[in-house]
Amino acid sequence: MSLKIINKSDLMPFVANMMGEYEVIGPVANDIGFKFATLTDASQVRLNYNTTVIPPRKTLLPTQETLFSFQKDMLAPTFDMKWRVLLGVHTCDLHAMCMLDEAFARGQPDTHYMKRRATTTIVSMECLDTCDENSFCKSMNTLTATSGFDLHLIQLGDFYAVDVGTTAGEALLANHAKSHEATRAEIALLDKTMSQKWSKFPVRLHLDGKDLPALMGVSYKSPLWEEVGKRCFGCGSCNIVCPTCYCFDVRDEVSMDGKSGERYRIWDSCQLDEFARIGSGENFRKTHAHRLRHRFMRKGKYIAEAFPGHQGCVGCGRCARACLVDITPVGVWNSLRQDHA
Amino acid sequence: MSIPAIESIYLPTLAWISKVETMTATEKFYTVELPRGQSLGHKPGQFVQISLNGIGEAPISISSSPSRSNGKFEMCVRKVGDVTTALHNLGEGAQIGVRGPYGRGFPVEQFEGRDILVAAGGLSLAPVRSVINQIFDHRKKYDRFIILYGAKNPGELLFKEEREEWKKRSDVEFLETVDKGTPEWTGNVGVITTLFPKITVNPRNTVAITEGPPIMYRFVLMELLGKGIPEDQIWVSLERRMKCGVGKCGHCQLDHFYCCQHGPSFNYAEIKGVMEAL
Amino acid sequence: MKPKVAFFDFTSCEGCQLTVVDSLQTHLDLLDVVEIVQFREAMSERGEDYAIAFVEGSITREADEARLKQIREQAALVVALGACAHLGGVNAIKNLAPLDDVRQYVYGDKHKWYETYAARPISAVVKVDAFIPGCPIDREEFIRVVKAVLLGKKPPIPDYPVCVECKLKENNCMFHKGGFCLGPVTRAGCGAICPTYSDGCEGCRGAIPNPNQDAMKDVLKEHGLTVDEVMARMTMFNAFDASQLGK
Repeated sequence: MSLKIINKSDLMPFVANMMGEYEVIGPVANDIGFKFATLTDASQVRLNYNTTVIPPRKTLLPTQETLFSFQKDMLAPTFDMKWRVLLGVHTCDLHAMCMLDEAFARGQPDTHYMKRRATTTIVSMECLDTCDENSFCKSMNTLTATSGFDLHLIQLGDFYAVDVGTTAGEALLANHAKSHEATRAEIALLDKTMSQKWSKFPVRLHLDGKDLPALMGVSYKSPLWEEVGKRCFGCGSCNIVCPTCYCFDVRDEVSMDGKSGERYRIWDSCQLDEFARIGSGENFRKTHAHRLRHRFMRKGKYIAEAFPGHQGCVGCGRCARACLVDITPVGVWNSLRQDHA
Repeated sequence: MSIPAIESIYLPTLAWISKVETMTATEKFYTVELPRGQSLGHKPGQFVQISLNGIGEAPISISSSPSRSNGKFEMCVRKVGDVTTALHNLGEGAQIGVRGPYGRGFPVEQFEGRDILVAAGGLSLAPVRSVINQIFDHRKKYDRFIILYGAKNPGELLFKEEREEWKKRSDVEFLETVDKGTPEWTGNVGVITTLFPKITVNPRNTVAITEGPPIMYRFVLMELLGKGIPEDQIWVSLERRMKCGVGKCGHCQLDHFYCCQHGPSFNYAEIKGVMEAL
Repeated sequence: MKPKVAFFDFTSCEGCQLTVVDSLQTHLDLLDVVEIVQFREAMSERGEDYAIAFVEGSITREADEARLKQIREQAALVVALGACAHLGGVNAIKNLAPLDDVRQYVYGDKHKWYETYAARPISAVVKVDAFIPGCPIDREEFIRVVKAVLLGKKPPIPDYPVCVECKLKENNCMFHKGGFCLGPVTRAGCGAICPTYSDGCEGCRGAIPNPNQDAMKDVLKEHGLTVDEVMARMTMFNAFDASQLGK
């Protein structure tokens, strides 16, 4: 829409002002890294964070979420009633959330997700440097974003350039921040910074992300799956930390007398032994190798096919960081690419 | 700022069990009544999520045909997990939750004018019965009607009375078999594929519908294709783990399809390239 | 009528029973749905008409077997309570050395006075219907299992590893913090309580059904443990091996 400027010294007041009206969730420091958490003080926010263990999708699809409660025969749906600002989302995660929007809106819309989405304002952040050796956003074309956000911040020395994406973002800025229209000099600095950033991000994947569906299409029978399957713990960490995973299990919790309780959903993982087992006992993905293949197929092919214009992997590198046995998307895809060179 | 009122798609509708019949040692047959005489409005081959508060939900195929619904539907439940075990302990008048119907059923209206060949294995006669009775109730719209049915042993054959009726009817060719007989069993012994040499079909005009345990598909499909029935005239129904029923939770995924949404009924031409399907 | 419940112990520290007592502080309504007829650690009455038996402790003497079998005969449902009953637990560490050496080490020249044999989980002696893992058990999990049993549900003991719960809590990985952890091969259900407090998982809940033990050893070694240290960690709670009993 338009480009605004917030001076660096006006950022904390902006955050504090938003906190007066919204639950503001942003990156904060923890023992050795960062996580997205509800701010209790504006000074907690760490916009210079590199990455988090769990992606910010937890704001839209909480790790555990009550769907309804029951008391004898009475059922009452449970909806989250908060208005939120999700602050400091990196563009890789933003791309992932746009995919989730599509997945949850498609067919019968998931009213719980849609409700959270409708009451969440997203303020994303441009990455000007690579987060660590595991990310490969450049290959996945998620290094920047031109839509999907309400506001988008780009840090330029003493000020932030603010890209306004929606009317909700415009209102948030107008009501809570001190900002001004970008001057010609500020726009020039933005352009320079943006064009200089690309060379700082290495290309790690030996193919373009958009060619992944084709590569995966010819890789179903690759011996690589058995090979990596031998190392895999099947621990599900890769799924839990993935911004584009959204599988969940549904469970019931009851009171001691069994008469009241709730049904909730909780994040699940296709890498766990029981994920695809049906009641009669048949397990449709029996081994670590089968389950790993499914995951990589989903990331590289199935999601792109099911939701055209979206990707199943955004190159954030979280699964590579989480994996103790070095099963990484870059490693797997480069290896498959080499097999088909 | 106001938040629009919305419904949860995961909230079940309360319904009642109006009739329970014991079918085999592990299977019971339920008639379920919906509130205010409302109809489920399903298509043959669809399923519902049956919910018991505090226990959970399980996907169950609808066994009755839309043509015989009348504010009720029927389902056959095998006791295999928490929900189905708890269901087996419920009697007439008990309240249960229902969500659905879900999934894509068999497009029976597209089959009009065709010969219909149904091949069902084991418990799968229950869901396939929704198609069979729909066809019987509109029998004139279809040409020949063949039903092949196989079970492990005579004790596992379902719907005795209906099968007896099919045997007597002149407008259906009904053949049944058991993998392993008993001294009293006088019928065919052998897996379901042993019934195929006993029938001849006009492949170009035949629509085949097959459903059974996972192991059965490959062999039955070979028979059907071997008889020259075109791939897009063969329909299968696939069983996968389902939690949500609405294409979100990911458990039933088959390549880029969700079994609960794009299926459980699939056309063979659609899924023969889907690596994990068959 | 409320189902009658009894608690028993064999070789153990009784910490799991203490956790049960502790759970009653936050879940007093448990007593509205079950009747406790025997619980040596918490009450003096002794009823013998129980339907559900919770058994803590491993079996370490031949003489224990008869008592356990009697419990099995009476109870419709036998539940192993905690790591010792479920896995053999720390008691089974002694199985790794010759039995006589162990007895002499502990009891010196009086060792002949003390009967003992290889420590084993109660499932090595009687059929067990359910187990609640952990050293000690997790009190919330204990309550979940009781509720499930009363509803006729399968006890909700996870068959996936601790990593799932640890990641859901958004903990930084113990290995990334310079520590060691058996989370990738250990059964969840504890809410990853140890790694949440920056203490690596020691495997007290036993292995998941399909653990990748080779990869676990490799990872521990890569992060600096010697082979002996790896084995010591992996056998702290999981030293029992049915093969040791010649079965």
